[in-house]
Amino acid sequence: MSPRALDPRHARVVICCGSGGVGKTTASAALALKWAIAGQRVAVLTIDPARRLADSLSIGEIGNTPVRVPIERIAPHATGRLDAMMLDAKATFDDLVRRLAVSDTSATRILENRYYQFTSTRLGGSHEYMAMERLYDLWHSGLYDVVVLDTPPTRHALDFLRAPDRMASLMDEGVLRWLVMPASRSGWRALELGSEAVSRVLKRVMGRGTISEIAEFFEVFRDLWEGFHGRSVQVQSLLRDRRTTFLLVSSPSPAARGDALFFLDKLHEQALPFGGFLVNRTVGIPQQSLRPEELPTQGPLPADRWAAVLATIQQAPLLRTRLAQDHAQAVAALRSAGPAGAPCWCVPEQRQDLHDLPGLAAIGAFLPDERSVRPL
Amino acid sequence: MSLLDHRIIVVTGKGGSGKSTVCAALGLLAARAGKRVLVAETSGADALPTLFGVPGRGYQPVRLAEGLETLSITPLEAIEDYVVQQIKVRKLYEMVFRNRVMSPFVDGVPGLHDAVQLGKVWDCAVQQKDAQGRHRWDVVIVDAPATGHGLTMLEAPRSMMELTRVGPMYRGNERVEEVLGDPRQTRMVVVALPEEMPVAETLDLHARLGERRRQLSLCVLNEVHPRAPTTASDWARARPSLLASGQPAVIEAADLVDAWMERLVRQDGSRQRLAEGMGLPVVDLPFFFQRKLGLAEVALLADHLAPAVEAA
Repeated sequence: MSPRALDPRHARVVICCGSGGVGKTTASAALALKWAIAGQRVAVLTIDPARRLADSLSIGEIGNTPVRVPIERIAPHATGRLDAMMLDAKATFDDLVRRLAVSDTSATRILENRYYQFTSTRLGGSHEYMAMERLYDLWHSGLYDVVVLDTPPTRHALDFLRAPDRMASLMDEGVLRWLVMPASRSGWRALELGSEAVSRVLKRVMGRGTISEIAEFFEVFRDLWEGFHGRSVQVQSLLRDRRTTFLLVSSPSPAARGDALFFLDKLHEQALPFGGFLVNRTVGIPQQSLRPEELPTQGPLPADRWAAVLATIQQAPLLRTRLAQDHAQAVAALRSAGPAGAPCWCVPEQRQDLHDLPGLAAIGAFLPDERSVRPL
Repeated sequence: MSLLDHRIIVVTGKGGSGKSTVCAALGLLAARAGKRVLVAETSGADALPTLFGVPGRGYQPVRLAEGLETLSITPLEAIEDYVVQQIKVRKLYEMVFRNRVMSPFVDGVPGLHDAVQLGKVWDCAVQQKDAQGRHRWDVVIVDAPATGHGLTMLEAPRSMMELTRVGPMYRGNERVEEVLGDPRQTRMVVVALPEEMPVAETLDLHARLGERRRQLSLCVLNEVHPRAPTTASDWARARPSLLASGQPAVIEAADLVDAWMERLVRQDGSRQRLAEGMGLPVVDLPFFFQRKLGLAEVALLADHLAPAVEAA
């Protein structure tokens, strides 16, 4: 697919993906903060319900509507701005239904449908779809230069890329027509099978009642179909906008590394624009080598306790070296798995948890500026 | 009663907290006690064969050690398994469910993926019998997905029941829920890391578990760094005289000791917050300064877990 023309009204999108526990949410927030301080109008959308992100951004509550982050506290002359929001899948879904429904009555009918209520709140899958929906809103709102998306922390996070497609094809003619009009011959024919066999299978597997309830759900959903279909197309164009970039966030742990390679494959498979690696919490090899003879043989403690102190100060660099070597191997393995020339930004492990704006801003030094993040 | 005497043990926790390693160690521990053990990884994860240095992985059980097997459940294979069990004819499954019209439907029904994976766990733990009519496995250990999705998955049978209300789907999920929701049969272990955010998320998970909290047996605090030979107060007293020399190597090493001491304080704080917040025993597992773990490390972790698992 050829990249679409650059539309200046649209924000550019940076999507941070990777497995859970690698500091993806923090990295997304730190990138967004850095770029806002540098003068961009930035929105960061997180899926992570952790209160701590709100705390570290110095905002009380974080929800579906944008909250302005007080970046002037750390950068009084910043010309950009930063809005943060956390995905509320249910609220987003409800909004979407209201927008797409042909009438208020129709919207109400959908919102009150039992199956809809399950879909939008209780069951997995809708999160991914709604993340794309919210991202799309932000993208073309005209309010932002950059939108940073923190994806759900699962291996299936990239399912969200297919989510709009899946939703649309689920509602697509074949299934929809067949479910809504199970008795009609055209519906059955779509399955290219004798209707009796199909009916028998589904009754056995799901139960007749369930089938008719799901059919009812699709029936009320039918007038949204066109809207969903349109959205699916629009989201695909967003994902393939030539300024959209995927960053793979990882950490030196083997699990994270494995997941990063998995994501890399998926991005490649779907021809999505990869922009580089961001590896969190790496440590470096100590610069100096400590010689035991340089240490004072006596100190302000009894001999045995002094010996314990000396043992500690000699052990610390050794432990660090082992860890650093392992991290270096991890980063090298990641780089060699990626496309040639893929940048890799390493954020050194911080001594303290990042719990406030200055802390987040501090790791900005290790992060790329906005212009350096671009598809390879 | 030991934790390992239950039918199912669900291991949950934040992503990257080391759930798979904990599953492996628990599995090894149970196998050492003479049990026939299955570790079920979900959503296509397959970390265990690598940990044990064993080739092969997939939906069919793979032998890891004496008495210990693993399998990797994917939603699609679990759906196929379920449907074929229901209709008895694989050909029919292929005709109907592999059909281009049906597959988006199966793919799109929310919650179905989670429910069928747990259905497979239930099948392994409850339904499958050996030639003597005993359960094929004495205990099934489930490596659940990371926190958020893991909770959704555990809720799936109940959600599907409320959704369907009657019919075979309802009854199937009801049977799963009877076992998974029963504290006498199914226990949960939560894995946390000794850092502020993972602890906060673990406590949040605990809060959201609702009545499933009574199924929690144990909290595992993973990647705990070793104690230093010296104490924090001795270090504080010794530091100025060590730095007096002004040697760059000493200054750098002292910084690393500072970081080590700070880490120990955070670890102790994490352990205390978890124990108080959840009212559960918290057991430490050591951090290995090499990241690539193997059978030797898993065996060591099993030793560490043993006393707490017996008492839980």
